[in-house]
Amino acid sequence: MILEPERCITCGDVAVAARVREVDGLEAVIAVGDLTERVAIELVPEARAGDLLLCHAGIALERVEEHAA
Amino acid sequence: MRFVDEYRDPELARSLAAEIRSLVTPGEVVRVMEICGGHTHAIYRHGLEELLPPEVELVHGPGCPVCVIPMGRVDDALAIAETEGVTLATFGDMLRVPGGRGSLLEANARGADVRMVYSPLDALELARREPERHVCFFAIGFETTAPATAVTLLRARAAGLPNFSVFCNHVLIEPPLRAILETPGVRIDAFVGPGHVSSVIGTDAYRFIPEEYGRPIVVAAFEPVDLLQSIAMLLRQRLEGRCEVENQYTRVVRREGNTRALAAIAETMEPREDFEWRGLGLLPRSALRIRDELASLDAEHLFTLPGARIEDPKACRCGEVLTGQIKPWECSVFGTACTPERPLGTCMVSSEGACAAFFSYGRLTLPPEARVGA
Repeated sequence: MILEPERCITCGDVAVAARVREVDGLEAVIAVGDLTERVAIELVPEARAGDLLLCHAGIALERVEEHAA
Repeated sequence: MRFVDEYRDPELARSLAAEIRSLVTPGEVVRVMEICGGHTHAIYRHGLEELLPPEVELVHGPGCPVCVIPMGRVDDALAIAETEGVTLATFGDMLRVPGGRGSLLEANARGADVRMVYSPLDALELARREPERHVCFFAIGFETTAPATAVTLLRARAAGLPNFSVFCNHVLIEPPLRAILETPGVRIDAFVGPGHVSSVIGTDAYRFIPEEYGRPIVVAAFEPVDLLQSIAMLLRQRLEGRCEVENQYTRVVRREGNTRALAAIAETMEPREDFEWRGLGLLPRSALRIRDELASLDAEHLFTLPGARIEDPKACRCGEVLTGQIKPWECSVFGTACTPERPLGTCMVSSEGACAAFFSYGRLTLPPEARVGA
């Protein structure tokens, strides 16, 4: 899982927004900077390439609405 | 970096700080609890307290899952890790949390097979790759992390793996908030709500705070501008005589949360009768256990655990820190007998713990109390 430096990976409330490169069945390949990672997308099955997903502990929790404040 | 830079804009932060100063009444201190450890970390890391007037006092809440795990549950995990043929997998910070018999890292040094993972799905993958070993995932975390465990349990059930289990220690955010609000002598005037827990449970889950306890809450994201804006929103509510749940983190959080995540949790886990919290004692229905239908994946069914209640070291005042009754630096062992390298209490273990965050970022500045009237 890709995390910001210095953040606690165990924390129940840390998650990062990451861009979907491609969707592969129940998983998506996400990218933060040059790093890529696979996350489970059972909880956000509508995820598509180009979406921004909130990811935590190996799964996507939610889509980030990019037009919102 | 998009989605970070705009929420760290110094000009915007300064203008929000000025707005906050205009919203306070001189001499009238408002105590704002940030519930989430991620917020505590961000507050210290970015020095946000330095931008606030002395009338806004930030109080650090119980939302660091590492910090609230009682020593007895760490000892239970040690018992699992020390079982022949078992690999215990968990998140990194959990490895250093001291139990009554030491930490998991120390158990690893003694020969137990303890491994760090970033996701419960990594632990499941370990079980697939090493069928000769039983892999147990030591699950901790609030509602943000419970969905990952739920998805893992559902995948494990579908895969029918016989060598995987979960030692479930997921906790819920509502019971400790009620406990804090009902603790005599604890005064919290307003809450900054946890952003990512809320992406799962939704903002409606906090309606009990204004409706039953008469305190406002703003669910917030994690960047400096987000936090300052949330504090301004809380102060405006007070000024306008409103008391409600507001959502600053609209780019992620919805009123109803993520219903798929909630359904996955409900399918795999259910509330325990009670659970012990560091500093708060036994709280009814405050944690999750694995449902009986998934007993073959439940470490509490598969292993004999000590299940002991172990008192915290007497010098450690984590409980009072977690409930906002004292600041980290008011604990006599802070920074001396208890440091991030050798933590005595859990608040010093995780970088999201109030003590560790203050140790890393805040101790070079004066505490807010010292600034009042200075």
